[in-house]
Amino acid sequence: MSERSARSLAKGSEPPGPVPEGLIRIYSMRFCPFAKRTLLVLKAKGIRHEVININLKNKPEWFFTKNPLGLVPVLENSQGQLICESAITCEYLDEAYPGKKLWPDDPYKKACQKMDFELFSEVPRLLKSIFSRRDKEDCSGLKEQLCKEFSKLEEVLTKKKTTFFGGYSVSMIDYLIWPWFEWLQAMELSECADHTPKLKLWMAAMWEDPTVSALRMDVKAFQGFFALYSQNSLEAYDYGL
Amino acid sequence: MSGNATKTLGKGCAPPGRVPEGTMRLYSMRFCPYSHRTRLVLQAKGIKCQVVNINLRSKPEWFYTKHPFGQIPVLENSKCQLIYESVIICEYLDDVYPEKKLFPCDPYERARQKMLLELFCKILCYQKTSFFGGNCISMIDYLLWPWFERLDVYGVADCVDHTPTLKLWMAAMKQDPAVCALLIDRSTFLGFLNLYFQNSPDAFDYGLTC
Repeated sequence: MSERSARSLAKGSEPPGPVPEGLIRIYSMRFCPFAKRTLLVLKAKGIRHEVININLKNKPEWFFTKNPLGLVPVLENSQGQLICESAITCEYLDEAYPGKKLWPDDPYKKACQKMDFELFSEVPRLLKSIFSRRDKEDCSGLKEQLCKEFSKLEEVLTKKKTTFFGGYSVSMIDYLIWPWFEWLQAMELSECADHTPKLKLWMAAMWEDPTVSALRMDVKAFQGFFALYSQNSLEAYDYGL
Repeated sequence: MSGNATKTLGKGCAPPGRVPEGTMRLYSMRFCPYSHRTRLVLQAKGIKCQVVNINLRSKPEWFYTKHPFGQIPVLENSKCQLIYESVIICEYLDDVYPEKKLFPCDPYERARQKMLLELFCKILCYQKTSFFGGNCISMIDYLLWPWFERLDVYGVADCVDHTPTLKLWMAAMKQDPAVCALLIDRSTFLGFLNLYFQNSPDAFDYGLTC
């Protein structure tokens, strides 16, 4: 995607036109882990798409017609249908588009992945809390909680005896949880996975996945974003462009 | 569905045996709204299911082998596979018994239903204080109240029995002077409904003396 087209749209910007036939549009933000889920699925399934990045600190008025809550990611198709909530967008793409199915076909296996996915639910909130701490206040309590959550995931991998959370190859659950693990290095929290060896092996395997590596964000870019974001800079979302 | 109107199994009770081929078993509790969801789907799809009610204050030890934290509902099939989380169970049942699909087939319509559910869950989650806006009654409480008042009138207020915060909220709301002043009289409302469903034009004046 060209640098110019990757620049986020902010208040006062013109609303984009309808989505051309044969494409699906994602309203996104380059550093948002929730939007990253949908981008991973779009890439993994080879779905033709266009990306419109939104300045989340200075949202265009028209964006609220796409999602009344004003959150990314949002999918818009050429029929003008809008889908919000990252996990729902991922499931929609898996159902609406042919090719490799990311959720398993077997109902019980799918239910198991969804039950295991519930075990991840505290991680985004914890990472956000650590990220929001100013002046490097003592995060040891939060880090400990994070380690506990990682242990739950370690248990899943131990029981399954497979590299990935869905089995021997990458599937939906791996992509749904991956974006937060991508943050660990940038936030200097890699040591939180030190006591969970299977989780570490999973991370290494994920880095090798062609979809993950194609969408890999540079650690320095994350750190640049974090720095500007903590200063409440409107430029944060376009860092590096 | 059999067994819903049965006594709960508690501490010291023997575990039930294997689930027979061709049926499902649901570990449940009669007043839990999450279990209720699952029972609705089982009923609507005509699935043969045995209900085992669990005493949630005194759980049988073996129940923790069905769910790590002893929560209900849990579905067990004849292959000893266990599924929990009410929405995951409902989706699983829709997948396994495709003859009468409850989720729409169109991916966008499916997504829309899931987005609506998310919004509803947000309502339940937003309720962390006595009232939806904080510790005092405010706009949002008045905006939501009419539907909950009708729950009482329809006689289905038991469905909040197992969501204690929502139940407490309803009780607190009934103490509010504005809510009190306008509380619908149950028999008047039922009288209205009765006439309304008969398409009677007098429905709207039911209960008025002058």
